[in-house]
Parts: sequence; structure tokens; C-alpha cells
Amino acid sequence: MRESRFMAKWTTGSILFAAGSVLPRLAHAADVKTGPYAWETHFQPAATKVMADITWFGWYTLSIMTAVVLFVTLLIAYVVWRFRERANPVPSRVSHNTLIEVLWTIIPVLILLAIAIPSFRLLYAEYDPTKLYADYNPQTTKFLTVKATGSQWYWSYSYATDQDSKDNGVVDAVNFDSLLVPDSELKTDQLRNLSVDNAMVVPVGTFVRLQVTGADVIHSFAMPPFGVKVDAVPGRLNETYFRAEREGVFYGQCSELCGKDHAFMPIVVQVVSQDQFRHWAGQAATDLPGANKTLAEAVHGGSNEKVAVR
Amino acid sequence: MANALAHDSHAHPTGWKRYVYSTNHKDIGVMYLVFAIIAGIIGAALSVVMRMELQEPGIQIFHGLAQMVYGVDAGAALDAGKQMYNTFTTAHGLVMIFFVVMPALIGGYANYFIPIMIGAPDMAFPRLNNISFWLLPVAFLLLIMSLFVEGPSGLYGTGGGWTMYPPFSTTGNPGPAMDFAILAIHIAGASSILGAINFITTIFNMRAPGMTMHKMPLFAWSVLVTAFLLLLSLPVLAGAITMLLTDRNFGTTFFDPAGGGDPILFQHLFWFFGHPEVYILILPGFGIISHIISTFSRKPVFGYLGMAYAMVAIGVVGFVVWAHHMYTTGIDVDTQAYFVFATMVIAVPTGVKVFSWIATMWGGSISFRTPMLWAIGFIFLFTVGGVTGVQLANAGLDRSMQDTYFVVAHFHYVLSLGAIFAIFAGWYYWFPKISGYMYNELVGKVHFWVMFVGVNLVFFPQHFLGVAGMPRRYIDYPDAFAGWNFVSSIGSYISAVSVLIFLYGVIEAFQKKRVAGDNPWGEGATTLEWQLPSPPPFHQWEELPRIR
Amino acid sequence: MVKPAQKSRFNLVLGLVLALVGAGMVGAAYAAVPLYRIFCQATGYNGTTRRAVAASGTVLDRRIIVRFDGNVQGLPWKFMPAQAAVSVRLGEPTTIYYLAENTSDHETTGSAVFNVAPDAVGQFFNKIQCFCFTKQTLKPHERVTMPVTFFVSPDFDKERQLKETRAVTLSYTMYPAEEPGDTKAEGQPVAQAGSAVLPSKL
Repeated sequence: MRESRFMAKWTTGSILFAAGSVLPRLAHAADVKTGPYAWETHFQPAATKVMADITWFGWYTLSIMTAVVLFVTLLIAYVVWRFRERANPVPSRVSHNTLIEVLWTIIPVLILLAIAIPSFRLLYAEYDPTKLYADYNPQTTKFLTVKATGSQWYWSYSYATDQDSKDNGVVDAVNFDSLLVPDSELKTDQLRNLSVDNAMVVPVGTFVRLQVTGADVIHSFAMPPFGVKVDAVPGRLNETYFRAEREGVFYGQCSELCGKDHAFMPIVVQVVSQDQFRHWAGQAATDLPGANKTLAEAVHGGSNEKVAVR
Repeated sequence: MANALAHDSHAHPTGWKRYVYSTNHKDIGVMYLVFAIIAGIIGAALSVVMRMELQEPGIQIFHGLAQMVYGVDAGAALDAGKQMYNTFTTAHGLVMIFFVVMPALIGGYANYFIPIMIGAPDMAFPRLNNISFWLLPVAFLLLIMSLFVEGPSGLYGTGGGWTMYPPFSTTGNPGPAMDFAILAIHIAGASSILGAINFITTIFNMRAPGMTMHKMPLFAWSVLVTAFLLLLSLPVLAGAITMLLTDRNFGTTFFDPAGGGDPILFQHLFWFFGHPEVYILILPGFGIISHIISTFSRKPVFGYLGMAYAMVAIGVVGFVVWAHHMYTTGIDVDTQAYFVFATMVIAVPTGVKVFSWIATMWGGSISFRTPMLWAIGFIFLFTVGGVTGVQLANAGLDRSMQDTYFVVAHFHYVLSLGAIFAIFAGWYYWFPKISGYMYNELVGKVHFWVMFVGVNLVFFPQHFLGVAGMPRRYIDYPDAFAGWNFVSSIGSYISAVSVLIFLYGVIEAFQKKRVAGDNPWGEGATTLEWQLPSPPPFHQWEELPRIR
Repeated sequence: MVKPAQKSRFNLVLGLVLALVGAGMVGAAYAAVPLYRIFCQATGYNGTTRRAVAASGTVLDRRIIVRFDGNVQGLPWKFMPAQAAVSVRLGEPTTIYYLAENTSDHETTGSAVFNVAPDAVGQFFNKIQCFCFTKQTLKPHERVTMPVTFFVSPDFDKERQLKETRAVTLSYTMYPAEEPGDTKAEGQPVAQAGSAVLPSKL
């Protein structure tokens, strides 16, 4: 129901973005792979509209840039072949041509403008949901607020207890640490270097205000399928938002060099239905392991994390 | 003393004194080149070991290496190894930037050829030139020493990356390793600032009669712009790392939030230096490529003035784009929009340069000697690196690429494949002039093709790893990234082979002693160095050349 | 034709000028420290809040939610807002409280750094009274309630970036302070021995 409504809004989007309609967009199918996969050559499938737009813009700029590289390469190839010593023994002495010099200044400027306009659109949309979500009402849409704190070398999450968060299902503060599952304790459905003991759990289709700070050195909270990357700076609270459009387990990794275990403090966000989230949040306030267990049973019949199809 | 002898054109010091006390720009230039080659082999070796580690998921090399090097016991080996990997990434970056590319392009080629090209007998301050050089080995030793002293508690070396962001470089690295590294950068920086003063003075004051600014070869223009970038940006780095040093040791709180400082301020200061620094690394290469393209096309450079002022424009705009390295730190969205705009502007003069090189070839009579191969390879690879830079400039997209292997691929395309290709292009172009001997054309061409294939195999797959989400500076990665990492590692070994071919070519040339003659390149080589014998006399231009 | 001696004097003069430029840039790096701070304070850049003597006088109808966040680093303290959020009208002065408890057996001193998110709110967020203006010393196991009196400037309503903003967050991080005591206190100490009961969950 919500999915189809979302699709309708999405396809009637702006002309500019409709131009990208043949290109990969927000993935909806429930069995879409999560996490990176082998021999991948582009972004992970988007789970938020922001990431869908980033993906579109990535393809858009990549197309233009590929054209530029091809043009330059063909030009070089032609020149190299046409003006090789044997084919052209007497060099010309031409060293100026005002028209061509003006052209190769103006045309790149136009290309850059063609990039800059959607670029600014995308940038501002990443900071202001009104620019991207037709069903977003700045006065009434209630955000669930979660704070992620980066420490050497793990992440901690705390769910806020303001009224907006409570309306989204939080009963009382939920605080926990999220540590890498060591190789020796990996279950078959877990991913090496990506799975954690306690995932951050958020409801699907809900605006989440993600606040990020650092407890010792600078870390960076990255969640590629959401199009989220925010530095965790000690003494400073950074903020961004996301709204996951499908359920599943999503993986990210610390993205600012923070010491010896920089590669071993992954980020896992589990997106569940709004009902499941209410249940989880209610139980997690007093019994986190129990809440995670109940959630796992509800989602996948006992498995702690959904198996990434590969 | 060498100084007294310098006035006597018929006698000059011999043996080790000739070099240690040298005030002769050509001898100092040669020393810089030798130093850069040695440092380059060390820096490349560091990268090959890292690629060996990354060839497969898991940790295979570094715990054993840490046991061997630091003598830690097996229980502590894993942690020591993880730290050691970070010290390798840090050292690789610092070595390649401060001890390979800058010494080769500025200390080596510019020292050797700028005075000759502008018709000057020597640099403006020959003794300062000597000091500039000898500061460098000292700095290099300090950096190497930093690998063997304590960094983070109980671990060796400074693994904070070449960017040295606090608080990891302050409270995160309490041991003296970071102090050694900071001191090394201070000294290398002082060396470069002195060099910059020397170059600007030489180029402004020492040009031969008739050699006006607008007749000056483009390499001289590129070095002039580079010297100004050095002079204006390096002191800012010096100031910033001095603050880091006092934060670490004397209780100041410039970057410590606990004392009212701001760690983000360091990033602003660092990148105010760091962004011009990347142009410092590439601009002299632009100059060299212009000469080579013109020489082997037997045509004057197309759009000389446009080429010169494009470099000036890149230099100037390069100072106002620094925060595009900081899009994810939480800077204001309007500020990001400004930096997106300013960064994209740089693409315009860069495009002018690429198209002018191609236009120089257009209508020419191109001979594909080894230097020309490297120069054409440079244009192609720099274009590839440049367009990914345009993508990264977009803050909205950058948040999906920041700190991933996409960035690693981008800056290696413009630096490892750009600057290093320019260095090799210059090497084959000027080797006959410096040594008096001809290199082996076949070896040079094999060197080019092996390296071209190798580096592309290393870095092209890293674009894929980056967009798929693999963060940089990781000793181990999720298994999904194994495929492209394997390809990248294979490329790294091929590139390592190309370095051996290069070294063989150098030895071969000195063994065979094929006499190069004054000008092996023919009528296309018009700059002044080709009017001198090869190698040039110890003192050139005693009779200043008149420029038409 | 320029004589060699003259030439080397030109060189020396130019070399010295360039050296001065280099030294000037080192100076500029140092000057950046206070300038950056002043710039942030003056423009609210980086989410830097402002300090005000009194409230603005004008109060608008538009309401926003002000959320509160607390962090501790390197101090044996518990530190958290007493209320998760309040709803305020633009221009309306409001007092809220933070709770702090020294969990150690010795006296400790902390001082707070802060910012507001989103960044653009900084220039409109005015603090009239705040525990963050001074250092706070807590006796062993002492609990205090620390007030913050603030108002959000009515100009908030005019800012393009904030037209649609429903909630902002004020965040503090409590760090250990070097020397104990309130030597730099500008007003009366704002901490008051608290009767407030800390919630059981911290």
C-alpha cells in the first residue's frame, strides 16, 4: 500500500529526474540484496529516496564524464594516427586559433552548468526533506531521533525520548553498544567484518533524525544504501536524516581513520515494520537481548540477521 | 670551500665534496633526483606490501611483519600488525608527496633546468639551495624513525594518515612517533619554502636579457606558479602542525574541544595547505608535458599565453576550494554549495590545458620516442583522474564517495599516474642531457607499457570498490570486495616489475655509454638546454645568451 | 646591463621580501584561530550559539521544538538533560535544566562545549544564562541541577534554510577542566545544589 503510493509520487517526479527513469532507482523488492556484493561496479541498491537520487546523479555525471573521456581519447587517437611523422612529415606552425580557444572554454562551462544545477538540487534535498518528499509536512511529520556515538572501536546508539520519538514507538530511553561479531563467533547468516551484536533498529517509512558524535577521536558514520555519511566529531553533534523505504538489514563501515581497529567497527541498521519497531522499542528499554530475540523471531523465524542473498 | 671555487670556472671540487658542499644547481638537481629515486623505491615497496595484504580478505602479512620488525610476541602481533598497516598508509603518503614527487619535479628537474632555460648561470641563492637539499634526508630519516617509536599506547609508529587529523594525532597518539613525523614535515616543509624563495627570486631576477616573462618556457611558468603555491601554503601547514605539536606537548588547546578548541579548525588549516599541495605536485608536470609534446610534434606549444595563465588560474582558484575535502564534517550546506561551485571552476583551465596539448599535436609531425609515449599516457590518465574529480566536487554525491576507494582511485590517477608519468616523461626527455648518454629506446618503451598496464590495473578497479562502499585505509574488508582487490593487487605487482625495468634501463644506459649529443630530439627541441653540450658544462652561460 | 653586485642585492631584497611573506603566512595560520572563533560567534557558523543579555521582546506565534542532548568525555560524571525537549515560541525566553552527578570519590571540575543542530540555527539561538559560561566543580557524589535560559530569535522565521524546521537540538559535551574553581566566573555561579532526583536510567 505505502509502497505503491510511494512509487506513484516517485514516477511523477520532476522532469529532470524523470530523465533518469531508465536508470537504476530505488529498489523495492523485499529480496533485494543488502550489503556489498562480489564484483560490484556501482552503488549498492538504494534504500532511501536520497540514495536513489544520488545514484541517479552518479550515473548522470558518470555518463557525461565518460563522454568527455571518450572524446579526448578519440581525439588523441586521431591526432596520433593522422599526424604521425610518416603521414605528416612537415609540421604546421599554427599556434593560435581564437575561435577554438573560446570554444574549449565555453563548452566545458556549459557542461559544468549542466552538472551544477542538479548537483545543487541534490545537495539541498539532502538537508531538506521538503524538496524530495511530497508527503513530508514540516509542521507535522514526526522524526524518530537516534544518536550514534563513535568510540574506539565501536558504535553506541541511543534512542531519544522526546515526544516525536515517543510517537514513533520509543517508550523510554534505549542505549546500547554495537560491536563487531568476531570471526570465531560468526553465525552462518552473518557477514564477516560487517555483522554486529546489536544492530540499530529503525521503522520502515519513518523519518529518522540521525545525530552523530564522537567520544574520543573522529569517526564517520556511513550507511551507503541510505546515502548517509556523517563525521563523528568529538564535542560536536552533527545531524542528518533518512527514511528507509524497505525492510532489511543494511551495512556500513566507519569512514574516518580512527586507529588500529578502524576496519573493525561496522554499522548495521535493521529496518523493520512500524509495528515490529514498536514492539522492539518497548521491550528494549528494559531488556535489549530479549527485544532483539523477539524481533529476530518476528522477522526471520529466529535468525538474528536476514541472510544477504548472494 | 665550494663557494670560493665556484668563481673559478676551470676547477671545481671533486669526489664527495663536490656534492656535499655543492652550490651548483645541476649537482644539487642530480642529488635531488637520486634521493627521489631512493625514496620512491621505499614508497613503492610500502604500497606493494599493502597490496599484498589486501590481495585476499583477512590479515595475512602484517601480523607476521610486526613480529619480525618490532619483535612483539605472537599474542600482541595482530594489534601491532593492524597499527603497522596504518603506519604504512601514512608513510606511503608522506614519502610519495614530500620525498618523491616534490624532490623529483621541483628539486630535481626545476633545479637543473630552470636556470639553464631562463639563461641564468645558477640559482639566485646557491648556498640556500644546498641547505634546501640537505634538510630533506634529515627529514626523511626522522620520518623513518617515527615508524620505530611508540605512537598509540603500546603500539609503534604514527598511523594517523598523512592528514594527521586531531584528536587522533593528539590524544590518540600519545607516544613520540607523531612528534617525529611532525618534525619531519616541518623540516621537509622548511626545505621546500627555502626552495620556493630561491625559485621565485631566480625566475624574477635572473632571466637573461630578452627573456621576458612572456617568452619564458612553460616549465619555468609552471615552477613559478608552484613556488608561489609553496610559499603561501606550506607556512600554513607549518603553523597548523606547530599547534598540533604544542597541543600534544605543552598543554595548548588549539584543536582540543576540552579547552575550547575545535578539531575541525585543523582540517581547515590542513586543507588550506593540502589542496594547493596537490597542484604543487602536478603543475611542474604540466610544464614538462608541454615541452615534450611540443618537441616531438615539432611544433610550438599551442596557445602559449592561455597555457601559462591557465596555470596561474589553477593556482589562484586552488586556494579557495579547500573545504571540498570536508563535506562530511558537518559544514553548513550553503558553504558546501560554494565549495562545489569553486571546485568545478578549476575544471575549466584544466580543460584548456588538455585541449591545448592535443592542439599542439594537431598538424604536427609526431615521432613516438619514449618521452612522447609517457606524455600522451599522461594526458589520457590525467583526464580520467580529472573527470572523477569533477564528480567528487559535487557535495551531494561526495557523501557516497568520501573516504572510500573511489577517492583513492581518483587521486592516484592524477598523482600516481599523472605526476609520476610526468616524472618519467621528464626522465626520458632529459636523461640524455643530464648524463650525456642515450637511454635504450626499447627498454624505455617496455617500461612505459608495463607501467601503463600495471597502474591501470591497480587503480581502475578501485573506482568500483569505492562506489560499492569500501572505505579507504582498511587492512581488512568484507569478503564481497575480494574480487576487485585481487585484480588491484596483481596490477601492483606488474607496476613493481616496471620499476625494475626502469632501473635496468638506467644501468644499461650508463654501461653502454651511447653518446647523446647536444640535441638528440632535433628541431622540435627549442628551449635553451638543447643549445648546451650534454652533459652541460659545470658553469653555463658565462656569456649570457641573447633571446630573440 | 646590470652589474653582478647590483643583481645579487636585488636578489637579496626579493628573497627577504618572500621570506617575510612566508613568515606572514605562518602568522596568518595562527591568526586563523581567533578569527575562526570570532567568525563562528558572530555568524553562528558551525552551530555556534550566541550569548545575550536579555530577551528580544518580540514573540512570534510560530513554535519550534527545542531538543536537548548531553555527552560526557573523560569525566566521572553523569550528565543529561532533565527534559528531552520543550516546545517554545520564537522569541520567548525559556529555562530548562541539565542534571549532573559526580560519580567519583573526589572533587572534579568540568566545562561544557556546545553546538546546535542544524548549523543554521546557531545565529538565532541566544543563551541568557548557561552553566556552560563557567566551569562547574562538583564535590564527591554531588548532584546538581544546572539551568539554561535561552530564547530563539524571531529572525529564525526569516531564514531561508529554516523555513520548514520543526525541531532543533542543543547539544553539550562535558569535558574535564584543567583547574578547579570558578576563577573565570563572570556572573554568579549558576549551579545550584540540586534537590532534583536523577532518573534511574542514565
